[in-house]
Amino acid sequence: MTLISIEFLLFFAIIVCIYYIIAHRFRWILLLGASYVFYATLSIQFIPLLLASTAFTYFTGIIIERQETKKQKKKVMLAGISVLLFFLGWFKYFNFVNDSLREIAKFMGLNYSVPYQEIVLPLAISFYTFQAVSYLVDIYYGKQKAERHYGYFSIYFAFFPQLVAGPIERAKKLLPQFKVEQSLNYENLTCGMKRIAWGFFKKTLIADRLAPIVSSVFDSPNPTGSQIVLATILFSIQLFADFSACSDIAIGCARMLGIKLTENFKQPHFAVSIADFWSRWHITLSTWLRDYIFVPLCKGKKKRSEIYFAIVITFLVSGIWHGAAWTFVLWGLIHGFYRVFGDYTKNSREKMVSFIQLDRSPVLHRWVKIAITFLLVCFSRVFFRSDSITQAFENAKLFLTISSWRPSGIIKAFEIFSLLDLVIFILFFIIVQLFQYIERKNGSTWEWLSQRSIIARFSFYIFIIVSVLIFGVSGNGFVYGGF
Amino acid sequence: MGRLFIKLTIVATIVLLLFLPVNNFVKHSYDYNINHEMLAFKKDPYPVDIINLGASHSMYGYYFKPTGLSHLDLALPSQTIEYDFKLLKEYGKYLKPGGIVIVSISQITFANSETKNIGNYYKVLDRTEIEPFRLMDYYSYLYLPGTNSGSFNSALSDKLKNFKWNSHQPWANNGKNYSGRKYERVEAQYREAVESNNIERNVKQLREIVDYCSEKGYRVILTMEPVHQSYQEYFNEEVMNRLVFQYLEALNLDVPFLNYMRDQRFADNKDYFIDADHLNREGRKMFSWIVYKDLKELGYL
Repeated sequence: MTLISIEFLLFFAIIVCIYYIIAHRFRWILLLGASYVFYATLSIQFIPLLLASTAFTYFTGIIIERQETKKQKKKVMLAGISVLLFFLGWFKYFNFVNDSLREIAKFMGLNYSVPYQEIVLPLAISFYTFQAVSYLVDIYYGKQKAERHYGYFSIYFAFFPQLVAGPIERAKKLLPQFKVEQSLNYENLTCGMKRIAWGFFKKTLIADRLAPIVSSVFDSPNPTGSQIVLATILFSIQLFADFSACSDIAIGCARMLGIKLTENFKQPHFAVSIADFWSRWHITLSTWLRDYIFVPLCKGKKKRSEIYFAIVITFLVSGIWHGAAWTFVLWGLIHGFYRVFGDYTKNSREKMVSFIQLDRSPVLHRWVKIAITFLLVCFSRVFFRSDSITQAFENAKLFLTISSWRPSGIIKAFEIFSLLDLVIFILFFIIVQLFQYIERKNGSTWEWLSQRSIIARFSFYIFIIVSVLIFGVSGNGFVYGGF
Repeated sequence: MGRLFIKLTIVATIVLLLFLPVNNFVKHSYDYNINHEMLAFKKDPYPVDIINLGASHSMYGYYFKPTGLSHLDLALPSQTIEYDFKLLKEYGKYLKPGGIVIVSISQITFANSETKNIGNYYKVLDRTEIEPFRLMDYYSYLYLPGTNSGSFNSALSDKLKNFKWNSHQPWANNGKNYSGRKYERVEAQYREAVESNNIERNVKQLREIVDYCSEKGYRVILTMEPVHQSYQEYFNEEVMNRLVFQYLEALNLDVPFLNYMRDQRFADNKDYFIDADHLNREGRKMFSWIVYKDLKELGYL
């Protein structure tokens, strides 16, 4: 049962109905049961791991709190985090490290005998491990009290709308919401339904329609440069549509239960710098990395070089978190380099903008910055999308070749679509862009829409549902579900 | 909450009213009814002289009616050899004693392991034969095919046959563009099959089909349908050896193999083809006569 399925919608509708029928004191049982059932339908073999991680984090949190000195608390916290990271490392990074060591040994002519292990990555382990780590660190710093109610704590760990691919929530935001009695609220229900519908729209009409087109280029043994350029741009659109749709569905589902999750995206492809991009893309991961990696690394550091080092390390962790492959490591390093370079050259870039008088036209200046940021992000995604490091470098070379950007070549590259698919994609892409445009102008498209006539509103809702029903493509999981 | 309920009812009703014609459109499309001959046969079966299995090459390859043979076409687009076998087990009982089973071999026979249009089999096979069987998919395919974007796309593409890039037209660049694209697809499929060890499974399945036929007293013949010259350029001897013949030879089957792939009577003549690898009505008729005569020569008829 994936998020994008009729089964999930039926399952969720039943949960919502029961949730508002039963008394508040029983709701945690319902949510916990639903979360484990949902997880079991996707990955039943890793239910024990989820249960063990939950129990371990629960008791570690209490033990940290019971320690009397800061030093003792720190010891317990570090031990707890080590165990959680050991699980993550074993399942996610064992073969990556193993393969890398084997390659190094081969290069150096040494004998390396540890064989490849068939290890299946437990679903959502990266997400719930990060939530667990933040929980333990927050208890250590005194920002969060150790939760004593095992049921509520378990829901925080496995809350089904956001279990698969986030948003990565903090305990202090989520736990109190589970405890508050939520009454049946018209606004919560309608807002939630709209978010879910919009998530389905983006996922089935943009992301999953683009997925096979992008794959056809990246899986091709000899793509042209223009095809790589186009496919990389399309992949950026696909990735945003895919991941933001997943967040929309999670946020919408939670909202229907009266729980507000953190927004994870703010139109990242309209960012004016890489720093701005990371404040708009996967916001809950960015803030997690900021609070639990970057800030501790910067503690007591004043030199610019030390801060830059911390930035690079933070992005390296981000890359490794995304996937156990050198392509992700490089992707993280590229973003680290972007951030450092952007900060280091800030003054000189401002002078240059002033020199060429671009700042006299703020709108043009803004769009130039948006375009440059988008292209830099796209370039990094060549590494994100490529299957191997060799392929990534070949694709990156093609992406950077000037002839790959010839308009005639790019137009020709559109033939990776069938003409019919292209027309359908453009239609829905325009709708998404219009939606985002209204959001940029008015803050919320849904609010803007609520001020329109009932016919306009209903037409839009019906358009979304009919489009998903007829043109929606499903069957692929979420890209971030694999992390 | 009453207000919400009324609104949801209005939205659902309008969605339904808009959706019904689309559903109807898909239900009556060519692709959705591509198994109509099998369905008609299932409803009103009769003894047959010859059955052909295989994918689209085979489906567009045979028309034995003018020869006087009673014929059942069990080939469907992208059909895996696994489903060839399932269909044979289901419908083989209608073969006359000593009846012939044509097992069509194509470029994808050993590489193809994923059943793309599982819905095609919902009505022609028993549920237990369909893997994976999902109840929701089953009912939505039967009653709400408009919700299946693949079926809708096929139906729409069928109506807008000429709405294609010039370079995507079947005979653009004398069929080379089509053949090139197909070659890339088959190569990708083959690479995936090698990586996931699906080839061995398909090879084994072919052996099982032949053994099953021998056990049941059916006479088997392997065939390969003719393709256009442009297709042959991509699928040359070396490529075909890698994709097909190395596995076929290793099987060492004791059945005749009629390979018409490079048959010169077809290779240069576009009039016999829909596109570079599928015969049209004329081609089908002519090819079936050729097969009929060769079967006679072999003593099968």
